[in-house]
Amino acid sequence: MAVENRDPAVRLDRGFWLVTLLLAVLAAIGIVYWALLAPITSWLPEAVDKAQQIDSLSRFLMASGTALFIFVAGYLLYFSIAFRRRASDGPDAIGVQIHDNNKLELWWTIVPAVFVVVMAIFSIQIWAGIQLGDNNGMVVEALGHQWFYSFRYPDVHGEITNEMHLPLGTPVTLHVTSYDVIHSFWVPDMRIKADMVPGIINTLRFTPTKVGRYQIVCTEFCGTLHGEMNKQYLVIDTPQKYKAWYQGWQQKNAHASDAIPTQSTGAISLSGGNVNAGKMLFTQKCSACHALAPFSQKVVGPGLKGVLSDPAHPNLVDGAKATPENVAKILQKGYKGDMGQMPNQTANGLTDKDIADLVAFLKSTK
Amino acid sequence: MAVASSLLSTPVTHGHDDADQLYIETRELRVQGFLLFMVSDLVLFSSFIFAYLYLRNTGQGWPPPGAPHVDIWLAAMNSVVLFGSGATMHFALENWKHRNFMKFASWMVATIVLGLLFLGGQGVEYVSLYTKDHASWGGSGIFGASFFTLTGMHGFHVFVGVIYLTVLLLQATAGTYTFSKYTGLTLGTLYWHFVDVIWVVLFSIFYLL
Amino acid sequence: MAVAAVHAGGIADHIHPEPEGFIRKYVFSIDHKIIGIQYLVTTFMFLVLGGMLAELIRVQLMNANGGFMTPDTYNEVYSIHGSTMVWLVIIPMLTGAFGNFVFPLQIGARDVAFPWLNMLSFWLFPPAGLMLYGSFLMGAPAAGWTEYPPMSLQGQAGTSMWCAAIFLVGVSSTLTGINFLVTLLKMRAPGMTYTRMPLFCWAQFVTAPLLMIATTALGAALAALFVERQFGVPFFDPTKGGSPLLWQHMFWFYSHPAVYIMILPVFGIVSEVFPTFARKPIFGYKMIAFSSCSIAILGFMVWAHHMFTSGMAPFLQLPFMVLTMLIAIPTGIKIFSWVATLWGGKIHFSTAMLFAVGFIATFTLGGITGVFLAAVPFDLHAHGTYFIVAHLHYVLVGGSLMGVFSGLYFWFPKMTGRLMSEKLGKWTFWLFFIGFNGTFLPMHNMGLLGMPRRVAEYDPQFQTLNRIASSFSFLMTFAILLIIINALYSIKNGKKCGHNPWNARTLEWQIPSPPHYYNFKHIPSVFANPYDFNEPLPYRGLEDELTDAPPPVPAAAH
Ligand code: HEA
Ligand code: HEA
Ligand code: HEC
Ligand code: CUA
Ligand SMILES: [Cu+2]
Repeated sequence: MAVENRDPAVRLDRGFWLVTLLLAVLAAIGIVYWALLAPITSWLPEAVDKAQQIDSLSRFLMASGTALFIFVAGYLLYFSIAFRRRASDGPDAIGVQIHDNNKLELWWTIVPAVFVVVMAIFSIQIWAGIQLGDNNGMVVEALGHQWFYSFRYPDVHGEITNEMHLPLGTPVTLHVTSYDVIHSFWVPDMRIKADMVPGIINTLRFTPTKVGRYQIVCTEFCGTLHGEMNKQYLVIDTPQKYKAWYQGWQQKNAHASDAIPTQSTGAISLSGGNVNAGKMLFTQKCSACHALAPFSQKVVGPGLKGVLSDPAHPNLVDGAKATPENVAKILQKGYKGDMGQMPNQTANGLTDKDIADLVAFLKSTK
Repeated sequence: MAVASSLLSTPVTHGHDDADQLYIETRELRVQGFLLFMVSDLVLFSSFIFAYLYLRNTGQGWPPPGAPHVDIWLAAMNSVVLFGSGATMHFALENWKHRNFMKFASWMVATIVLGLLFLGGQGVEYVSLYTKDHASWGGSGIFGASFFTLTGMHGFHVFVGVIYLTVLLLQATAGTYTFSKYTGLTLGTLYWHFVDVIWVVLFSIFYLL
Repeated sequence: MAVAAVHAGGIADHIHPEPEGFIRKYVFSIDHKIIGIQYLVTTFMFLVLGGMLAELIRVQLMNANGGFMTPDTYNEVYSIHGSTMVWLVIIPMLTGAFGNFVFPLQIGARDVAFPWLNMLSFWLFPPAGLMLYGSFLMGAPAAGWTEYPPMSLQGQAGTSMWCAAIFLVGVSSTLTGINFLVTLLKMRAPGMTYTRMPLFCWAQFVTAPLLMIATTALGAALAALFVERQFGVPFFDPTKGGSPLLWQHMFWFYSHPAVYIMILPVFGIVSEVFPTFARKPIFGYKMIAFSSCSIAILGFMVWAHHMFTSGMAPFLQLPFMVLTMLIAIPTGIKIFSWVATLWGGKIHFSTAMLFAVGFIATFTLGGITGVFLAAVPFDLHAHGTYFIVAHLHYVLVGGSLMGVFSGLYFWFPKMTGRLMSEKLGKWTFWLFFIGFNGTFLPMHNMGLLGMPRRVAEYDPQFQTLNRIASSFSFLMTFAILLIIINALYSIKNGKKCGHNPWNARTLEWQIPSPPHYYNFKHIPSVFANPYDFNEPLPYRGLEDELTDAPPPVPAAAH
């Protein structure tokens, strides 16, 4: 390029250095504020261990971001004022004809690079702490519905649909998935979220560190009332309080899986089951846990393609022969085996007719 | 395709034997434009190939439950046919360059016939899949989604290609191209080879993988 | 490679015969300048539409419990708002409008490589827009501009219309990309080497491949969604073995590069405006050009940073996080180079310059929040909240849109031969700048404090912040209204300004405003890059341009 005209030497005057000093001070203030003073926890409590870790990263990001912005914006402003065209210079006055300054350009490649590297390292550390933990915590499941959440606990039959309780200090492994469309499980006070994707199970690992009631918010658009999907709470209890709550639900739902709701006593008539209606129901209510695939294709429960005809699996999970009646029984009473909990009729919200339809549909899948 | 290539007409495509400079540059432009067009076409295929490989490797495993089994021999034969047509197309253009119209024409015809043969073969395959395994585009799950979409897209390209080549042959007969100015034919050849290459990929991911 | 293939009687020297008749001149024109202006007008109309939708959003959000629209309507509104602004405003405006009008002039060509293709590209575009808005009639798409399945699979009939419309826009911009690329490769005036190209040309040069490749990938995704909705071909439906995440991959593989389609040309605009008004060579020409390339390449390797929470394998998050952060480096190089260009300048603060300087400030802020989001742990908190909305408007409105306004004030005289009112312009800038920050700054807080995006009603604790945002958004609206009025008024009544009001040095300013249909009487030759203000203009063969020497005879052909 234009090497013909040699660049004049760059001379930075006192004004420049004064401004630099000023910006440095401002940047320092910004850094100190974000690193130490900013009362983050008074804006949003830190409900779990992960929250502290993420906040420490956020403080660092905010601090460096603020500093960088102050310098860029500061020089922008200063140069704009200092080098504006004054009345004194004529219309065709021109600026200093500088094209390049390799040293300078090298520097402003290195400095951001350093920032990026540090940010990356810090982020990766925190990331490892969040993503690489093992699933040995107490297992709880959260399921997204249009437009509410339901929760499942070990040894509590059926699903709890109002609040989610967790004991202080116990590591938790939270599996989330969805019954219908994509939702998301976010507790702002936990700082972490996971999307609830039908057919996929995402996992959050954390340890509650602060007693309180925390709002659960859905952040993935899920239809008409997506905005209403913030009405449920995560309650972090002292272990004793939690135990009481937990046992309460155990009793409350103890019969859910055995005592069949009033409308259906004993065997369900499977006559007039409608395949298509069953198909609909299946996609709505079952597909979150069951694939239409051979038994081996487990999602939460086994694949259900041809449960009634698969020679490889003459018996159902409960050992009974794979007959329409026995499938109906599982749908009616639910079943808990080593794969987990198959919800019962009430938990799945099925009428007898629904069950007849579903069985008819399952029969039709070969 | 034929349309696309005529849209690639620069202000001055109807060549004048005197303005040779003009011809050369016009040719450069059109060839380059056409290559870029094929790049984006390639991206189109790649996206669907990605989709196929993604579905194949997530969830249910491959072949998905109830997927029909594809007949590799039919496909292999079909491949031979298509590659053959690639060769004949090449000869066609070479003969044009050597100013031998008759040979050019006969190789073109051969290419077109082979192209039709390929389509026929694909038709047979589709029919048998449909009758034997009730495999259909929407009906047979992700198999249908990936197999019929990709092979269908390719088949469509072949179909268009056959028409395109026919048009070129007619134009050549009508004297649209001179032995020194034949950008249109070059583009046609490029396109046909492109379709060939795509098939290599599809064949290996669907029948060999 | 260096010297472009242009010779007397060569293709770039070819002149279309003067178009006669209104239709051929202004409607189905093949003249890149007319097509550019057609794009400009159409995109501004869509800006008004998309903006009105935006204001509807802001009105709805004045109250925590909404109430102005039903949730369903609201969802349609912001989905169309996003789709409009991205596909019908910013992308066609930066490539179709400014690209078409400016860069062929800057490289000293008589037109783009394929004028007819160019006309087709444009005429694919308005129908697409009509289809998108037509979808309101049949129940508009309501799952956001990203239309994630399974939501979009259940979406109303209009969702399929949306697929078709966006697909058309895609075809249009793919063709534009091809056209621009060939033009820039083959039709540069003699001596216009790659290191002498104005930086706006570089920007278009880097954007064109993005248009070609990324857009086609989107086309595939849209086609898949369309056939799944219409014919039940299962790509994305988990109950049929498909995968919702597949869509997210296919969509973002396009849409991240797309965000650079929406910013690289703006970088180009700023790189022209800065030297012109600072009366200084652009600082670090080569680095600016080079960093554009690296941004474009990196841009294809970071798409999954939109999917950190959606359940991709954790170990995949790392490369995407790091690569995303890397983009800060080339972008930083640009920012710093521009700031350095101001140093020691004699800055004339025309409205164009004001908008360009404002752009640096707001885009930097938006970019930095972008880097925050790239950090997975931070994103686990911020994803799907108003923090994202804040980020995207800082880069898209404070970035792209401000760049567009800068370009409008800058090139308007070239398009019309008249100046837009500078006095009104400066007012507009400050109104816009204040309105913009007032609208979107609070959204950072909303997001981090827990307000999700895409909600028609929200938790009362956010009401004050939202009311602030809404009120300022009306200010911003007013500002944009003024810009439009200013432009419309100045077409007829603006101050006549001769051929080079800013005495800029790139080629387009050396010929009459508006330029003749044949652009140049003789194709000039170039012997240095345009930014040395202490040198004479580095062009030969422009002597006749401003005289009333006869126009060149239409070339050999015909
Ligand atoms: C013009 C459009 C545009 C541009 C240019 C960018 C630029 C960037 N974006 Fe943005 N982005 C969007 C438009 C854009 N984005 C949109 C529309 C969405 C939302 C989509 C949706 O969900 O609806 C989005 C969402 C989005 C996400 C997903 C958030 C989420 O949904 O969870 C992420 C995450 O990584 C991200 C990152 C970035 C980064 C790192 C950049 C970088 O390119 C920025 C680089 C620039 C700078 C960094 C500033 C200047 C540099 C310096 C001053 C040097 C020093 C700085 C450092 C060292 C940090 N963006
Ligand atoms: C370039 C892109 C672009 C631009 C310019 C804008 C411009 C604006 N956007 Fe938009 N926006 C997006 C891209 C853009 N947006 C995207 C991609 C999304 C995500 C969508 C999704 O979630 O799927 C989004 C989402 C989005 C939301 C979040 C919705 C939600 O998540 O629930 C909001 C909320 O305030 C918003 C507001 C605004 C406002 C106030 C403007 C203002 O700047 C608009 C100002 C302009 C005008 C008003 C037009 C000019 C006015 C006149 C000519 C006068 C006549 C007008 C009236 C009388 C009203 N936008
Ligand atoms: C929350 C997840 C979940 C939902 C929802 C669910 N199931 Fe199940 N289902 C399971 C689990 C887990 C098992 C296996 C229990 C075990 O053996 O551990 C199971 C087992 C079954 C079985 C026995 C399979 C066999 O091969 O023995 C049938 C049949 C069945 N479910 C049908 C249904 C139907 C029909 C629905 C919809 C109304 C449904 N399930 C909804 C989790 C679920
Ligand atoms: Cu559930 Cu949004
Ligand atoms: Cu992105």
